[in-house]
Amino acid sequence: MNLDDPRTVFLLGIADDELVTGHRSSHWTGFAPSIESDLAFATLAQDEINHADLWYQVVLAGRGGDLGAVDRSDVDRLGLGREPGQYRHAIVCERPPTDFAYSLARHFLYDHFDAVRLDVLTSSNDPDIAAVARKLRHEERYHLEHADTWVRKVARASLEAHDQLAEGFARVWPEALWLAEPTPAEADVVGDLVPVGASEVGARWLGDVVPVLEELELPLADDVAATGDVWRLPDGFFDTPRGRHGEHTEDWTSAWEEMTHLHRAHPGVSW
Amino acid sequence: MTTVDVDAIRDAVASVPDPELPPVTVGMLGMIHEVSVDGGEVVVTLLPTFAGCPATEMIERDVREAVASVPGVEHIDVRFVYDPPWSSDRISAEGHDRLRDFGIAPPVGATHDVPDAVRRLPIAAAPTPCPYCASTDTAKESGFGPTPCRAIHYCNACRQPFEAFKHL
Repeated sequence: MNLDDPRTVFLLGIADDELVTGHRSSHWTGFAPSIESDLAFATLAQDEINHADLWYQVVLAGRGGDLGAVDRSDVDRLGLGREPGQYRHAIVCERPPTDFAYSLARHFLYDHFDAVRLDVLTSSNDPDIAAVARKLRHEERYHLEHADTWVRKVARASLEAHDQLAEGFARVWPEALWLAEPTPAEADVVGDLVPVGASEVGARWLGDVVPVLEELELPLADDVAATGDVWRLPDGFFDTPRGRHGEHTEDWTSAWEEMTHLHRAHPGVSW
Repeated sequence: MTTVDVDAIRDAVASVPDPELPPVTVGMLGMIHEVSVDGGEVVVTLLPTFAGCPATEMIERDVREAVASVPGVEHIDVRFVYDPPWSSDRISAEGHDRLRDFGIAPPVGATHDVPDAVRRLPIAAAPTPCPYCASTDTAKESGFGPTPCRAIHYCNACRQPFEAFKHL
């Protein structure tokens, strides 16, 4: 299939974020600090991987195509059968879980970004994109609630807990900003597949998360600045191409090898 | 040529049990969007509950088998659509009773009428009643349980953890 078609490029930015976030969330299964958080990250992983699956179906059906008739093996091939440089997720999603504080900070920033993105996509001119976004937005409320509850709880638990969470945010912020990096298809999709551009999605996201973090005295990224009451990134921030353009880190190479191992060893296998 | 009875198809589909909650059926869950019959060709359109529900494939298989048992059926197409999105508001009163009997608290109140409910979980007007003792002295422990559709609550009255079907 043509991976360079603008609709595909744009949707892979979303689907790959979900797939890789799900893969990394699954690393907490059996290791999270409590049985509830273990189940939570396992469910988050299951949700995100299935949401990725659904976005891959939207890609494969094509605009105005038959979403219900997409072949399962094509979905697996698109999700797991690409070369590492053909994935368009933001690099923050590919980092290892590191520690629970870093994972929580990433979970909070990522799921708030995804919520704003889904909100925007419900107004897509492409009916399948709008319908899937409406469906997923409703499910994602549980992810937001989980992230918000944990970040508030840990931030107020003790000085040590606050410090560790602050360190997690300090580490995750510089790369999390690149969630808002536009894909190369930006000019072709804005105003049609998506009503507003990546920078507007990014600004709305910062407007959601920054006040919460200020209230909890948790750090922001240095690059985030206020223009009036709107939080923004400086012009030209995304001039260097990264995840949305297929530019990744060494952490992705190993995650990709692990994530796609079964698919590469047994192409077309069903499980 | 036999004409397939569309009501018989609808009944067959409606009676398929949820693989993870066997007392509750596809019909009680409100998963049926459309059933159409053209000669021996049957198309069943279903609304998936949670997008990540692993039971979806089993439901598709079971619906296919149930429809195949209706006389005159020659070809079956089972499809999932996302518009309209399935909501827990679609679960019938009987479905609520069966869930409660199974030890799972049914979803309380309507989800979709709450302002901003598209982004935020609605603040429940009243706590979820315990499926065992009906007390409302309960608290939500975790939004994530053994399946994507269930959350974990705790009953202070009978001192039991219990599962509740999530709002969607």
